[in-house]
Amino acid sequence: MPEARMHYQDQLDALERNCMGGLDLVIASLDRTMEAVRHQDMELAELVIADDDRIDGRYLEVHQEILTLLATQAPVATDLRLLSALLHVMHSIERMGDQCVNISKVIPLTGHDAPVHDEMVDRIVLMGKQGRSMLSQAKKAFEGRDVELARDLVRQDDLIDNLNKECFQIAVQVGEDKDTREWAMTMMLVARALERIGDNAVDIGEQVAFVVTGLFREFEDASHPGQAPLPST
Amino acid sequence: MPETADKTRTDRSTAVATDLANTAKASKGGGDVVERTSKRFSVKDLNLFYGEFQAVQDVSMRIEPNQVTALIGSSGCGKTTVLRAFNRMHELTPGARVEGEVSLDDQDIYASNIDPVEVRRLVGMVFQAPNPFPTMTVYENVAAGLTLNRRGLSKSDKDNVVEKSLRGAHLWEEVKDRLDRKGSALSGGQQQRLCIARAIAVEPEVLLMDEPCSALDPVATLAVEDLIDDLKSRYTIVIVTHNMQQAARASDVTAFFNLEASGKPGRLVEMDATDKMFTTPSKKETEDYVSGRFG
Repeated sequence: MPEARMHYQDQLDALERNCMGGLDLVIASLDRTMEAVRHQDMELAELVIADDDRIDGRYLEVHQEILTLLATQAPVATDLRLLSALLHVMHSIERMGDQCVNISKVIPLTGHDAPVHDEMVDRIVLMGKQGRSMLSQAKKAFEGRDVELARDLVRQDDLIDNLNKECFQIAVQVGEDKDTREWAMTMMLVARALERIGDNAVDIGEQVAFVVTGLFREFEDASHPGQAPLPST
Repeated sequence: MPETADKTRTDRSTAVATDLANTAKASKGGGDVVERTSKRFSVKDLNLFYGEFQAVQDVSMRIEPNQVTALIGSSGCGKTTVLRAFNRMHELTPGARVEGEVSLDDQDIYASNIDPVEVRRLVGMVFQAPNPFPTMTVYENVAAGLTLNRRGLSKSDKDNVVEKSLRGAHLWEEVKDRLDRKGSALSGGQQQRLCIARAIAVEPEVLLMDEPCSALDPVATLAVEDLIDDLKSRYTIVIVTHNMQQAARASDVTAFFNLEASGKPGRLVEMDATDKMFTTPSKKETEDYVSGRFG
């Protein structure tokens, strides 16, 4: 292969590493966020909010690198699909970083002496663990171009969705006490943000299928549940 | 190809033919209608030789009318040789030989009763370097083919064809006041469009273009690409290009040729819609070539 093309390949590899590194940043941010939720740790929540600049910075960096490669190397075929996918993936990463910020921002509202319902907190902690596991799985699927592993994210996401619905039922039936109701509503915001992180992980899985097969299909279409065709390998 | 796509294309071709026929009728004041539509090339088991050396092996393909087909591949893969076989120019090389079938619609262009000169009128060629006849004026360059093919044409008819051809080649406005100047005095891009005007003056069905923009700057290249896009409504166009971006921009279908090793004959690796060839090619060999990963 000509040297110039090897350099291009190096640039592509570095770009993908940089983007996947963004997923590591989100995993770290989610870990801190869940820690802050469990212990109502406002200082840690502040740190999550401040550190989101690193994820936003990574987004801008990867975005610029993609534009440069498009402008200078005229990528086609798999390279073009990879660049398109990385742009989507990086956007999902940025959104997940924002969800961690959204959660961290409501932690002060849950208060030190909030009327905590363990059954709801337990489910939210489980959602956080499941989200973390899905992010690792999405990264592994992308790096390994593993469509089956990517598709499995839909099944994993169902677990988060079910926990979210359970949280909703608990919140609805939480009782008459105003403080408790306020706390439950706030925790629903947390659950909702975690549920969105699960969706973003599935979005990344869809990009894996696109890179490998060239077909861009949603694994699940929210407006037509259960009808979206799965791309074949 | 899905039946519906084929049908749409047939409908479009018929519409184009009817348009042209109507135009011809109008211009001739209601005289005989000369139906013109571009033609389809069918190539079957084509093998091309230069003496003992086999340059191209077992190529079978269909080139559809009213679209641009790009032939791509590295040097020596046989794409230009295939192009030259499409208007029987290959056999002009001493020792060159053709095996297999090349048909224009249903007519085998290599049949014994076919006059190669007539084939070359129906299937025009535009070459890599603009090659206007250097001693001829702009007007004479365009009219050169007419003098050979349509003797006895009146001066006013010839004027009409020259103007129509220069308009067709997007060159009329630039040269209408200097038709008596030497063709070689035009810029490179204008010279190439002059060659295209010369090629279309004899009303061919097919235009073959062998790297028509490789000697042109980007502005002239885009002017020629615009022209190609315009011409495809009237002609079958086959273009050989080394410029991958040009193939991606200017063609509807791309055919990739390659050879297994140096000294081996070239063969057709993959042929498909251009957007598919440049986003999701079926063969790794194609992927490697269009991505620049070769050697």
